[in-house]
Amino acid sequence: MPVISLSVNGIPVTAEVEPRLLLSSLLRDHLGLTGTHVGCDTSQCGACVVHVDGKPVKSCAMLAAQADGTQITTIEGLAQKGKLHPMQEAFRDNHALQCGFCTPGMVMMSVALATEQPDLDEAAVCKGLEGNLCRCTGYQNIIKAVMAGAKAMRG
Amino acid sequence: MEKYGIGQPVRRKEDVRFLTGTGTYIDDIKPDNVAHALVLRSTHAHAKILGIDGTEAENMPGILGIVTGKDWIAEDFQPMPTKSAVNKKIDGTPLNQPPRHALAIDRVRYVGEPVALIVAETVSQAQDAAEAVEVDYEELEAVTDQVKALEPGAPQIWDDIEGNFCLDFELGDKEETEKAFKGADHVIKLDLRNQCVTATPIETRGAIASYDKDTGKYFLQNATQNVHANRDTFAGVLKIPSEDLHHVAPDVGGGFGAKNSGYPEPSLLLYASKKIDRPIKWISDRNESFAADTHGRDQATTVELALDKDGMFLGLRTKTIGNIGAYCWTVGPFTPTGGSARTQGGPYYFPAMHYTGIAAFTNTMPLDPYRGAGRPEGSFQIERIVELAARELGIDPVELRRKNLMPADSLPRKTPMGLDVDTGNFPEVFERTLKMSDRAGFAKRVADSAAKGLKRGFAIAPYLECTGGGPKEFAGVKFARDGSAALRVGSMSTGMGQETSMPQILSDRLGIDFDKITYVQGDTDATPIGGGHGGSRNMEVGGSAVLQCANEVLVKAKQIAAHLLNSNADDMELSEGVFTDVKTDQSVSMVDVVAASFEQSRLPDGMEEGALDTDTIYEREIISCPNGCHSAEVEVDPETGSVNVEHMWVVDDFGTIINPMLADGQVMGGIAQGLGQALMEEIIYDEDSGQLVTGSLMDYALPRADSMPKMEMAFFEDAPTAKNPLGVKGSGEAGCCGAPPAIVNAVLDALKDDGVLHIEMPLTSEKVWRAIAEAKAG
Ligand code: FES
Ligand code: FES
Repeated sequence: MPVISLSVNGIPVTAEVEPRLLLSSLLRDHLGLTGTHVGCDTSQCGACVVHVDGKPVKSCAMLAAQADGTQITTIEGLAQKGKLHPMQEAFRDNHALQCGFCTPGMVMMSVALATEQPDLDEAAVCKGLEGNLCRCTGYQNIIKAVMAGAKAMRG
Repeated sequence: MEKYGIGQPVRRKEDVRFLTGTGTYIDDIKPDNVAHALVLRSTHAHAKILGIDGTEAENMPGILGIVTGKDWIAEDFQPMPTKSAVNKKIDGTPLNQPPRHALAIDRVRYVGEPVALIVAETVSQAQDAAEAVEVDYEELEAVTDQVKALEPGAPQIWDDIEGNFCLDFELGDKEETEKAFKGADHVIKLDLRNQCVTATPIETRGAIASYDKDTGKYFLQNATQNVHANRDTFAGVLKIPSEDLHHVAPDVGGGFGAKNSGYPEPSLLLYASKKIDRPIKWISDRNESFAADTHGRDQATTVELALDKDGMFLGLRTKTIGNIGAYCWTVGPFTPTGGSARTQGGPYYFPAMHYTGIAAFTNTMPLDPYRGAGRPEGSFQIERIVELAARELGIDPVELRRKNLMPADSLPRKTPMGLDVDTGNFPEVFERTLKMSDRAGFAKRVADSAAKGLKRGFAIAPYLECTGGGPKEFAGVKFARDGSAALRVGSMSTGMGQETSMPQILSDRLGIDFDKITYVQGDTDATPIGGGHGGSRNMEVGGSAVLQCANEVLVKAKQIAAHLLNSNADDMELSEGVFTDVKTDQSVSMVDVVAASFEQSRLPDGMEEGALDTDTIYEREIISCPNGCHSAEVEVDPETGSVNVEHMWVVDDFGTIINPMLADGQVMGGIAQGLGQALMEEIIYDEDSGQLVTGSLMDYALPRADSMPKMEMAFFEDAPTAKNPLGVKGSGEAGCCGAPPAIVNAVLDALKDDGVLHIEMPLTSEKVWRAIAEAKAG
C-alpha cells in the first residue's frame, strides 16, 4: 500500500492508504475529520468540498493517494483560535444554513470563490456554487452570505 | 445587542457546530467494534423469489452474517402496520392492507425492495458479497402507473387484493355539488397530474443499532424525524417492549417527510446486532436513496369548477387517483384521501364541494408524506382550474380570484370540507402580494423581454393550508443552581432551528438568559412522549408545549419570589429577568429565584428543592390554517422552451412569528422544493420493465443556486390563531403549496398568445418547447 505524507489543517499526516481510498474517506474515517460530508456517489452534491493547496476540490472525487504532498484545509481548519472565519460568520448572520449538511462544502467552496474573485457579484456566486446542492435554504441566503463573507474577507 | 424574545430574528445556536464541522450526523458516529451492513435490494419491479443462495457470499472474507426473508419469517417477526388516519373504505370496510415486512418474503414488488441484509467487517466486503448472493427470480408483469393499475386486466400485485385497490374516500356534499353543477352557467374541467417526486435530503438515511446482552436493551441511533413512533413500530416488529428500545436521532441533515416513517432497515439492524453481538451501521448511498426513500405526490386528478355567469364559484368537484406504491407505508394511504381533501378549494368561497380519492397499489417504491402531503396537490388543483377558467371565459385571472376569495367577514368559517378556518384575511393578503409584485412595471418588463425574443408571464396563487402531525407534545425543563435551564422537547428539528426558537420562547417568558438554555430533542429516554416532526407541527404543538411549560414554571417562580420578598404571588411582575412587587417596588431576580429553588430554607411551605423543574404535555385540539399568497414572474424562451423564474413575491399568514429569520428560511426552502417540482423534478419508472429511470442525481434534477428567483417575503401578522396559546400557524410546508401553481400558471400566462392551455409538471424545456410546437401545429 502506498504511503502518503500531507498536511491537513496545518498538521503533518503520514498514512498508508489503499490505492482505491478516496480523499473524503481518508479525512472522515482515518483522520476523524467528519466535518467533511458525503451526500452522493456521483460527485454532484458538493458537501465534500475541501481545499487542496488552496483550490476547492470535491474530496469524494479525488484519491487519497493523489493528495500526497499537498496541503489540505477542511472545514475544521477554517476557524482560527476559536474565532469563526468571516465566511462562517456571514453564513450565520444571514441564516444561510438549516440542517447544516451541505454547509461545510458550501463554506469551503465560498471561501475559495471569494479568494479567487475578491469582487465577485451574485451571478458569479451562482455560477461558482453550481456544483453545491442545498435542499433546505432555497439558496438566497447562501448567496447573500457569500457576498457578505467576501466583503468581510476583503476587509 | 442581540435580543432573544419572541419575534426576534435570533441567530441560531446550532450554527456554530454546523459551521465548524463539529455537528454529529449519523455517519459521523463510529462505535467501537462496529460492523457494517448493506441491504441487497430487488432488481425487479415484480418477481417471485424462487430461492436465495448465500452460501458463497457467507464464506467470503469479513462476512458476519446474511439475513433473508426466510430467516425473518422463521423468527415470526411482525409486519409494520400503516397508521393512516383514513383507514376505511367508503363502504365502511377496512382498507386493504397487505403485510409489510422488513424483507421481501417470497415475492418482490418494487425495484429496491429489501431482499437480504449483509453484515460484514467493512462496507466494501459487504459490497463484494452482495455480488455473490444468488437470488433466483421469476419475473412477473409489473404496473407502475396507478390509473393503469386500477384497469381491468392489470397485473395483480397482491393475490388477495382485487384490482390493486387499497381504499376509496369521499368528503363534502355530493348532492349539493351536483346541484351546483346543474345550475351552473359554466363548467370548466381539467385532467392533471401531480407527478411523483422525492424529498432528497442532502444527508441520506442511515442508522446504527446495538444490543446490550447484560441489560437486554437495544440502542438505535437513526437519522429519523420521529423517534417515539418509530421506536414503537420497530419494537412491534421485533416483538419486544418499547421500553427495551432506546431510540435517538443525532443531528439530522434534512428530512422533509422522507425521514418520518418506519423504514425496514432499523429492524433488520437491531435483529442482526443482537445476533452477531456487535453494533452495526448502515448508511444509504445516494443512488439507493432514490429507490428506497419514500416518494411523494403522484396523483392523477380530474378537477371541475362550476361558475355562474358573473364568474362566481358555485361548486368544485375533484377526483383523484393516488399512487401509494406496492405497500401501505406508514401513512401513505392518507395522502390522496384525507390529506388532499381538507384544503380543497383553497381560500375561495365555495357553496359546495365534493372530493373523491382512491389509493391504488403499483409496483413502485411506496409513497409517504413529502413536505405538504396532499395540501400542495390540493393547492395545485384549485389554482390550475381557476387559471384555466379565467382563460377559457376571458376573465382577468387576478379579477376572477379577487372576487371569489373568502371575504374577511366570512371568518370564522367551516369550509364544505369541514376545515375550521378561524382567522385570516385572504383579500388583504392577496392585495398586499399584488402590490409587492410591481404590476405597474410589468408592461415594460414584457416589452424588454420581447426585445430579447423572450416571453414574460405573471401569475398569482393564493393558498390555504392546514397543519397536521401528532396533536400531543411534551416539554420539560430542569434548572441548575447557576440559573441555567435544560429544555427537553418531543418535537424535532431536522434543520428548522428549534434548538434556537424553543429556547427563545422559554427565555421570553421566564427572562432566563438565552445562552444559558440547553436543548434536547429526539431521544426516547429524554421525553416520555414525542411527536417528532411532520405536518408543520413543531412550533404549533412543540412550541405551545414549551410555552405551557414556561407558564407553569412562572406560577411557581412567582410564589418563590413572593416568599423571598414577603409579599403576594399575585403582586409579582416579571420583566427582563426581574420580579418586582407592583405594590412595594421590591424586586428579586429570576436567577436568584432559581437559586432559592435549590435551598429548602428559602422555599415557601409545600415546595421542595428543585421546585421549578416542570414537565408538561400540551394537546392541540384543532389544527391551524396557515395561508398566504405567492406570485411569480417568469421568462420563457420560445426557441428552446427554457423557463427562468425571475421573481417571486410572497405574503404569508403564519399567525404569530417566533423568529422571522427562521420563518423566512422555511418559506424559501419550500419555494425551492416547489420550484423543483414545477420545473425539473420527477421520479420516473420505465412503463414496461418497472425499472427506476431516475436512480441518481444525474437523472433526478434538483434546483441549484442559479435556478432560484429573487424572493421577496412579508408576513401578515394581524390574525394570530386562538387554536394554540402561541397564536402560530405552521410555516414549514407553505412554500410547496404556493410555488408550483404560481410558477406553472406564470409560464402558461407567458404562452397565452401561443394557445398553450396546459402543460404537465415538471415544465422542462423539452415539454414547454413541445407544447408550443403542438399548439402551433393546431
Ligand atoms: S459527496 Fe457529493 S460531490 Fe462529493
Ligand atoms: S442546509 Fe440542509 S442541505 Fe443545505
